[in-house]
Amino acid sequence: MAALVYTVTAIAGIAAGVVGIGGVFGATFTVHIARIVPLGGLELAMDPLAGLFLALVGLTTAATSLYAIGYAGAARGAYAYLAFVTALGLVPLAANAMTFLLAWEIMSLASWVLVLDRRDDADVQRAAWVYAVMTHAGLACLLAGMLLLAAHTGSLRFADWRAAAPALAPAIRNAVWVLLALGFASKAGVVPLHVWLPLAHPAAPSHVSALMSGAMIKLGIYGLLRVGLEWAGPGPTWWGGTLLMLGVVSALVGILSALVDTDLKRLLAFSSIENVGVILIGVGSALLFVRAGTEALAAIALVAALYHTVNHAAFKALLFLGAGAVAHATGTRNMDAHGGLIKRLPWTAACFLVGAVSISALPPFNGFVSEWLTFQALLQSVRVAEPGVSLLFAIGTAGLALTAGLTAACFVKAFGITFLALPRSDAAAHAHEATATMRWAMAGLAAACVALGLGATVVVPAVTRVAASMLGAAVAPLHGTTLTFSVGADFASLSPLLIAAALGAGLVAPRVFLVVAGSPRRARLGETWGCGRILQTARMQYTAGAFADPFKRVFRFFYRPVKRREVVAHPDSRFFVRRIEYANPARALFEEWLYHPVLRGLVGITHRVQALQSGNAAAYLGYILAALLILLVVR
Amino acid sequence: MIRQLRLALRTGIVTEAVAPDENLEVLGGRLGEAARRLFGRSLHIRQVDAGSCNGCELEISGLTGPHYDLERFGLHFVASPRHADCLLVTGPVTRNMAEALRRTWEATPDPKLVIAAGDCARDGGLFAGSYAVVGGVEAVLPVDAIIPGCPPSPRALLAGLLAAIGRRAADGAR
Repeated sequence: MAALVYTVTAIAGIAAGVVGIGGVFGATFTVHIARIVPLGGLELAMDPLAGLFLALVGLTTAATSLYAIGYAGAARGAYAYLAFVTALGLVPLAANAMTFLLAWEIMSLASWVLVLDRRDDADVQRAAWVYAVMTHAGLACLLAGMLLLAAHTGSLRFADWRAAAPALAPAIRNAVWVLLALGFASKAGVVPLHVWLPLAHPAAPSHVSALMSGAMIKLGIYGLLRVGLEWAGPGPTWWGGTLLMLGVVSALVGILSALVDTDLKRLLAFSSIENVGVILIGVGSALLFVRAGTEALAAIALVAALYHTVNHAAFKALLFLGAGAVAHATGTRNMDAHGGLIKRLPWTAACFLVGAVSISALPPFNGFVSEWLTFQALLQSVRVAEPGVSLLFAIGTAGLALTAGLTAACFVKAFGITFLALPRSDAAAHAHEATATMRWAMAGLAAACVALGLGATVVVPAVTRVAASMLGAAVAPLHGTTLTFSVGADFASLSPLLIAAALGAGLVAPRVFLVVAGSPRRARLGETWGCGRILQTARMQYTAGAFADPFKRVFRFFYRPVKRREVVAHPDSRFFVRRIEYANPARALFEEWLYHPVLRGLVGITHRVQALQSGNAAAYLGYILAALLILLVVR
Repeated sequence: MIRQLRLALRTGIVTEAVAPDENLEVLGGRLGEAARRLFGRSLHIRQVDAGSCNGCELEISGLTGPHYDLERFGLHFVASPRHADCLLVTGPVTRNMAEALRRTWEATPDPKLVIAAGDCARDGGLFAGSYAVVGGVEAVLPVDAIIPGCPPSPRALLAGLLAAIGRRAADGAR
């Protein structure tokens, strides 16, 4: 039964992808069915932005569903998955507030059920609890913001909001933007609202993690774009500035947290926070450029953000599926128990490597093109003559550069520790390759990573259509030929195909040279040099913790590392040590410094307020009397 | 601190002047040239202590001092056999070091030289016949040159290196 559901969702996903791509190229339709949904009925509408996100959701779903057919972890929860992907597809199409919020809530609830997969596990329960609280706090913000907007425009339809937005009072628009941005940012996993993400993603089965990270959090970005550019209209500078700075903070916090994590799926979850940060840098820049009246530059920033959104869906879904195959094969997500898997899971290793190189923004893969575009958008800020805004862009550029470097380090670790060297545990030594459908799903996403990288000259004009539809038709598309596309008239240009050709030539040329030069083709295989040591075991290898240690030292101010050392000596002499325990745990600083104080405060207030509920009937009568008196006096 | 500086200034230089050694320059220059002819670049030496009393090491470290300063001739001591062209082995090769020495040799890329420096490395020296030593580097590895002496002086070490390279170059020419 589960296999049937997954087959259906895979086919529906491809269909949604085709429809979505049609939407990007200008196909529009509307669906209106009254009475299914209260307050305006079910209302769907297609426009280029909706099309892009529908295609993203659909194609990611197709891959994860194919994976799920052969994935033992997907045997349960097929119906929740069905509800989840349906809601994912409806969210970008929704054309009124009621449809949107219902789809949004079904999406959240279904994914919550899927996160609660192993419900006997206390960690999973906690993850699901945090996820439920965060997502509903976000929903409350969305609801408040949308109702506020509806009250001031007199309509629940998005088209009416768009038309009425320029005429609204600035205070209302600011309030709406803050509420909706909070709601969408909590879904997108923007720091400091990201705490649910590193808990929920590892807890869910891998095909769901891939979909949550690849598609669901992107809908938060979708919402931010809608509210920032359409529903609440172009806003003041601080909207874009806030998003840009949140993007920088998210990117850095995300990647620094990923760097020191040893749980493969949690590492990927932190990396999703980082990538959302990179996307937000693009979105924030777009809003700032719109404010500055330079729509052409805004288009570049928006194209960068949208392109990175699509790319992240491809490579992060791929990485999560690969991590799922590894976790299933070895029975653990702890990288320090992996190692040597490239020999045992060659398909998974190859696909994971493609994903890791893509996310590290190395040419000729897709991450490179979108990060390059983001950089170009930031560097174009020299054309905006406002010192304060320029400073924001400079911070954005520096933050993005640091993030890019740390990402590469992080994924050298993720791939190297997991797949290379010797197995660190029996489970890793006896790991088995993923099933056929899992391999095909990963191979498909890997192919998408390559295609989105090499085919940038085709993808960029398509994404530019979406950006143009958001910013008004006045925006000229980024121009390009089949080989090269350029940013601005004379600012910069990129040719992914030529870069790929140069890299390929760089790989082949030395070998050709050696053959031509008549080099003897002798190779001697020897064991790893271990300083003459006789016994070498897998425990002597580099570990994930050791790899991250230099970063822990350099970024000490961020990690605030703590060391716990416990020495148990013999009762007769402290010189005879029986046991030494050493721990160097990673700290969850946002929980410690932000959430716990707030929660403690809330609990404290609740305890105070509880005193009112004394159970004494006389006191209750007194409250009624007091309320009556106050009402009489106030009137 | 100031007291120290004042003391140093007042005392001045008290080390004895060393007469410049023309032979050393010639020897070193020929050695560097020979290495460049054989390997196409400078000579990288990995020193392996196979149970030495450290007398030889003392003389070898003299080579890197300001007087001999062998780096100016294009000779370098390196930290891993993976980077080395030449193994400079000292000591009588204790049983515990025999396997490690063999592995070091395997880890060194071809073409490579093995030079046994000191009387112990030649044949076990003072320790020959002991239950704890294998007895000379030749018992474990093919040796290209032997530098006798207990310990050999830095100049003798340079001369031995030159002889080893020269012999290898002659072998290659044949």
